[in-house]
Amino acid sequence: MTSPQIEIQLIAAVVAVACAIPGVFLVLRKMALISDAISHSILPGIVLGFFITHDLNSPLLILMAAVTGVITVILVEAIQNTGLVKEDTAIGLVFPALFSIGVIMIAKNANDVHLDVDAVLLGELAFAPFDRLLMGGMDMGPKSLWIMGSILVITIALLLLFYKELKVSTFDVGLSSALGISPVIMHYGLMSISSVTVVGAFDAVGAILVVALMIAPAATAYLLTSDLKKMLILSVVFGVFSAIAGYWMAHLLDASISGSMTTMLGIVFLMVYLFAPRKGLIAVLYRQNQQRTEVSLITFLLHLNNHTEVAERHINHLQEHINWRRVRSKTVVELALKNNMIEIEDEVVSLTQKGKEFTDLALEYILTNKDEKIEPMKDDFFLFRG
Amino acid sequence: MDILEYFQLVTTDYTLRTITLGTAVLGAICGMLGGFAVLRKQSLLGDAISHAALPGIAIAFLITGAKDTNTLLLGALVSGVLGTFWIRGIIKKTHLKTDTALGLILSLFFGFGMLLLTFIQKQPNANQAGLDKYLFGQAATLVESDVSLMVWVTSTALLILLLFWKEFKILLFDAEYTQTLGFNTKFIDGLITFFIVLAIVLGLQTVGVVLMSAMLLAPAAAARQWTNKLSTMILLAAIFGAFSGVFGTAISASQNNLSTGPVIVLVAAVFVLISFVFSPGRGLLFRQIRFQQNRRDLELQKTLQFMYGIAKTHTNIGHPHAIRILNNFQGFTKKSLKELEEKQWITLDGQQWAMTEEGFSKAKNLYNQPSNND
Amino acid sequence: MSEPKIAIQVDDLTVAYNYKPVLWDIDLHVPEGVLMAIVGPNGAGKSTLIKAILGILDPIAGSVAIYGKPYEKQRKLVAYVPQKGSVDWDFPTTALDVVMMGTYGQLGWIKRPGSKEKKASLEALEKVGMLAFKNRQISQLSGGQQQRVFLARALVQDASIYFMDEPFQGVDATTEIAIINILKELRKAGKTVVVVHHDLQTVPEYFDWVTFLNVKKIATGPVKEIFNDDNLTKTYGINYKVAVNK
Repeated sequence: MTSPQIEIQLIAAVVAVACAIPGVFLVLRKMALISDAISHSILPGIVLGFFITHDLNSPLLILMAAVTGVITVILVEAIQNTGLVKEDTAIGLVFPALFSIGVIMIAKNANDVHLDVDAVLLGELAFAPFDRLLMGGMDMGPKSLWIMGSILVITIALLLLFYKELKVSTFDVGLSSALGISPVIMHYGLMSISSVTVVGAFDAVGAILVVALMIAPAATAYLLTSDLKKMLILSVVFGVFSAIAGYWMAHLLDASISGSMTTMLGIVFLMVYLFAPRKGLIAVLYRQNQQRTEVSLITFLLHLNNHTEVAERHINHLQEHINWRRVRSKTVVELALKNNMIEIEDEVVSLTQKGKEFTDLALEYILTNKDEKIEPMKDDFFLFRG
Repeated sequence: MDILEYFQLVTTDYTLRTITLGTAVLGAICGMLGGFAVLRKQSLLGDAISHAALPGIAIAFLITGAKDTNTLLLGALVSGVLGTFWIRGIIKKTHLKTDTALGLILSLFFGFGMLLLTFIQKQPNANQAGLDKYLFGQAATLVESDVSLMVWVTSTALLILLLFWKEFKILLFDAEYTQTLGFNTKFIDGLITFFIVLAIVLGLQTVGVVLMSAMLLAPAAAARQWTNKLSTMILLAAIFGAFSGVFGTAISASQNNLSTGPVIVLVAAVFVLISFVFSPGRGLLFRQIRFQQNRRDLELQKTLQFMYGIAKTHTNIGHPHAIRILNNFQGFTKKSLKELEEKQWITLDGQQWAMTEEGFSKAKNLYNQPSNND
Repeated sequence: MSEPKIAIQVDDLTVAYNYKPVLWDIDLHVPEGVLMAIVGPNGAGKSTLIKAILGILDPIAGSVAIYGKPYEKQRKLVAYVPQKGSVDWDFPTTALDVVMMGTYGQLGWIKRPGSKEKKASLEALEKVGMLAFKNRQISQLSGGQQQRVFLARALVQDASIYFMDEPFQGVDATTEIAIINILKELRKAGKTVVVVHHDLQTVPEYFDWVTFLNVKKIATGPVKEIFNDDNLTKTYGINYKVAVNK
């Protein structure tokens, strides 16, 4: 590995971490699309800032663009408050308009601005190592590393300082106001940090991919855990992994680095989406199938318990009255038999002693609205699950 | 070429006519179907679908090696539909929320698409020029066959829309009720969604994946402000959309170096802005004026009531009183007294005022019906 | 006197949301011509029961019959008034337009409502006292007026059985009286009316039939016989006393 290669990976990793942290809170607060809006609408801010500073890496430019981001949020909320359009329409109206202004400003000043449309969408990570920070003639490393590094340090510092407040205001707005944590300050604080991060990362990965870096790691982590700390750690891990793996994939294919990073994020998400142990698609489908059978089983047992008359308990009655398709009723009866819940005599089904106990207990939980207790009860009674 | 020249040339120049017709038709279909997207609260689904279409374009190119628009758009359609289904899958089967699902699919598909595009660009023998136009759109690349495809799709959409108008309307308003009436809501829903995806895909060449969603939303959001009737709204949205398309194309064609997409979006945004401020029913300006008017009316009424309180104590209601007894009541000004006089509720004579019959009965009625104006 | 016909028959109905059952093994027979309240605490599955009967929700077990046949075959005998909050009242349409939607079921696919449907809709609007507001945009109506429009939409369906989900939620006193008078008229005309109801105080005054529901059916029958503290306590869990003037 050459030194620029290492530096690119380092920058990519730092950007990924800096994006992943605010991303977690955006996903949890159901504001993921705000990051999309910000990342688009800061473009005119960046261009304007560039006219003034003539330096894409100037802190002033970052500040100006970040202010544009916060203004976007305020604008969206103002339009929502007029009630003229629905909430999501407000987002959908504001950011394309601002982004268009940015694109047109770039196009009209193509000779002066060192940005082109590709850079807007993709960033220029490959060139990042060549723009170096010189202090008194000393080479201190790539500028963007310093910028993203500073943003990351600030983000982490704020996270550690306000972890408790962020957590409370994210999960329980009512409680947080009661504790004296202003939801408004937390909201705009998070919006400001997100804006700054997006602006800093914009240069490296471009407008749309920064959205991926914010949302995808957090969403992936959310499929694996609901614990905030674990979620933060996991998103950072996913972000860094995709950044570095993405770099090598781009190297291999000779294609865009940020495009590859996003693709890696996509692959990681797809894997977790399919295979996550409890919330993945396969696990969910398996569990839904199991629960459908088990709910049917309990319904069946309750029915037997409710009706003493023979006609209602005849094996053929299942299809007729309970209205199950043949396959399911067979599965249910078999499951009940395997678990010694029922016995069949002359095609008439009755509850066994164990079945009766189970049903009575289930009934009690159902009537007292303690449905959640049925799940552990199943563990006690079932030899075989559905 | 400036804009005037453009419009002069439209009548004579074949290419310009094709392009203008294309953007007009595109704007119309997007406005029309965008109305449904907005009312279904699916404004941002369009954004996700258009971004999700990008890898489809790239893959279609990689497989066929052809630049034929229809092939590429077919790829876009497939990948857009795939993205839509995945979004639904995420929302239905996991606890991730709609906004997360939309943002995820949007950015992940787009990133993958950009990876493929940059990969294609690096291929030595690839005849790749032209794929870039799908990012921000280039109306100038529209040819007659593109436009006839647009016209064809738009007519079909229009036909379907007219045929199933009643079903579309009731589904948008109250889906569960529609189901109880015996309509297959999944079919109607699928029909609307399919045509929205189709409109998005059609617009990619002209407006581009990045800004396509605004083309759906903006005309509809603007049209909603001018009417309370669904059919008028859809018609207006189509008109706004067509105008945005034509003006946007005209402006971008008359300048160097401007993609069509951003310009069309800005023109549409101007329509939205004007509608938000100036629409007579819902607009912010008239809302403010009405608000002020109500407040002034209220103040006049209060003044009149206060006068009524004084006049009532006299047998002769027309008995003149000094204006300064109104001083303990803060709500009056010279102007409001003038206005009361204009309405012939009081008469003014120097420093004195007197109530008229009309003013007296008006004030009495104010008491009797406590602000019950529905 | 012959036995009255059974208008609605629910057998062994179990309904689940995400495989969490909200209704368990419900058996319910509603005779023709009653005005019935479904009462129970929040989350008891009252709306769910109606939606399952109407086929909006798929039950995991059990069956529903309207006059002895499945709902799909008897659709035209049934009208539905959903909860007012379930739709977007900012939708660009007028009161008359909403009422006309009640005729769509009879019309079927593609066919448009004509003058006959319009006349019926205007009559329905008049019946609920909303004729003056026929061209009003629906967002400009008060809560009570919106509820009346919904009622008119069901009336225009000209059904035999009416299902209403909390029609008195957030309406003014005048509207409440107007609605209950219309419901009583419907009963007089031999229709069956099923209402999800919240206000226990008014049950004896408004209804002649009642179903207590809390995930399982607790009791069902004439108000005079079964609307008592015992069933209320069973349904609401706590020791429930209601000031009922008997």
